[in-house]
Amino acid sequence: MLFLQFLTTGVVTGCFLILATIGFSLTRRVEGFLNIAHAELLGVGAFTTWWLNADKDWHIVPAGVAAIMFTALVGLFVARLIYDPIRERGPAVLLITSTGVAFVIGGVIDAMIGTGIRTLEIGLATSYEPFGIRITNYQLIVVAFAAVVSVSLALFLNRTRTGLAIRAMSVNPDLAASRGIDVRTTSRATWLLSSGLAGLAGVMLAVLATLTTDLPFAQILQILAVAILAGLGSLYTVILSGLIIGIAMDVSVYWIPAGYRPLVAFSLVILVLLFRPEGLAGTRAA
Amino acid sequence: MNWPQIIVTVVTLGSIFGVVTLSLNLQHARGGMINFGIVAYFAVGAYAYAIFTQPAPQGLDQYKFGFGWPWPVALVAAAAAALLFAAITGWPTLRLRGEYLALTTFAFAEVFHSFLLNERRIGNGTVGLANVKRPISDWGPIEEKYVFAGAAALLMIATLLVFRRLLRAPYGRALDAIRDDEVAALAAGKPVQRMRRQVFLISAIPVGIAGGLYAMFTTLAQPSLFTAEVTFIVWIALVLGGERSVYGAVAGTLGLIFFEEVVRAWPFETVRSAQIAASAEHIVTGLLFIAVLRFQPFDRIAERVKATR
Repeated sequence: MLFLQFLTTGVVTGCFLILATIGFSLTRRVEGFLNIAHAELLGVGAFTTWWLNADKDWHIVPAGVAAIMFTALVGLFVARLIYDPIRERGPAVLLITSTGVAFVIGGVIDAMIGTGIRTLEIGLATSYEPFGIRITNYQLIVVAFAAVVSVSLALFLNRTRTGLAIRAMSVNPDLAASRGIDVRTTSRATWLLSSGLAGLAGVMLAVLATLTTDLPFAQILQILAVAILAGLGSLYTVILSGLIIGIAMDVSVYWIPAGYRPLVAFSLVILVLLFRPEGLAGTRAA
Repeated sequence: MNWPQIIVTVVTLGSIFGVVTLSLNLQHARGGMINFGIVAYFAVGAYAYAIFTQPAPQGLDQYKFGFGWPWPVALVAAAAAALLFAAITGWPTLRLRGEYLALTTFAFAEVFHSFLLNERRIGNGTVGLANVKRPISDWGPIEEKYVFAGAAALLMIATLLVFRRLLRAPYGRALDAIRDDEVAALAAGKPVQRMRRQVFLISAIPVGIAGGLYAMFTTLAQPSLFTAEVTFIVWIALVLGGERSVYGAVAGTLGLIFFEEVVRAWPFETVRSAQIAASAEHIVTGLLFIAVLRFQPFDRIAERVKATR
């Protein structure tokens, strides 16, 4: 029974990780680099929600929506200002630069919020106990969002013009440009989308957890773990690998102390990198 | 502001981290390897030194190993442990390139950090090992802090000289060739894989000793001292100083540590303003980092110097 409880919590963790990682993988796929600052965008989303909700007394829904939109704009702004001018220097320089961006965003959040723990004004979670397994309404919301986002992203990328343009650009930017796709607009759409997803994950983080200013950046480790396991830049396998990492971390608590959760996630990652560097997706992600 | 104290601290910490930056410089600028887990090798050195000098566990101690050996042996052990750790982690990871190598080394460092946090039998878990032994407490007329600053500076200069010697030898030119064009170097008969592994191992040794010295200086070996932030700081120092030269790596580290120490030592009126200053330190460090990567001032200076010669 206890095992099933851990499994359920693992699914919830996995769903949160899916939300946190999809934007990161989308950036990797279209822009071609690992944006370490993605985790700090989660922080932007989480603390904007907290500020509007707890400080300005907004209801959680408009606060969350506003936070997601604000995060999307911050992401686009950073990309235009910092990443675009150095695009041709290659992924390694962009990766290293993004750690600098993470420092700046993290510092700004720290300066504005300060130390201590923060919680939203949304009341305590209601728990349900079907078959003796406990799950709260907030956890169910995360699962629902993960499902909705996954399905709608798939529809968006396959059915809409912008979505198809994003996919074309991720495969071959030059060819896409010569076929009449506006590369700059598509790139901006991608940044809005991936940062907006980071904002959504941030709102979920604020709903699920007590916030501290170092919490968002701590998520980068798990985001990296999920992204690597999925195969850098692949999107649909993120769903699978998010669940695998989430479940592996939480179920491991059944046998070993909870402090080892990150160790479990990263041991998985190291194994994957050593034996199957292309990840679960199986495509060459060069 | 107590300037003499600040300068002594900057020389000590700047030299210790300078050694790490120098090793990173060797790995990245010459070997073409991105090591995003350099803090782990530093931590291994610090813990090895602490474990070899700690007295055997007693009372509330949870650690299982404490050999109580003299400090020179422990420093050698620190170097050996870092070398061993580099051999263990380098063997599987060095097949990977670019961002994959960066991610694997990062992952190894995180696993190691999480291991230190949780495994109480090695270093008391989160509490860490306190009262790490310092060599001799009585240095006669010279204050102990100056001895440490001198020792750290000496280690850094020694590392710098050894690396410079190595890189000016034919070995260094072969390394440059591998970095610039791996296929061509392979075609010219250079053992590419073996040399990459050698560079990885060689550069771990001074990092381990620096870790030991750091444990000695802070008298602590605690997981919270060895987070990913150390890796980022060292990377920032490397980029700040210009990746192409060993002197740049040292200057970048000293500059960055100086900046941090000044912010730390500034007499703030309120707790809140001290907090904001600490965040501002992060912001300014990050902005500097972004600006240097974008405008590459040091590469331009280097080119100009070369052109005028």
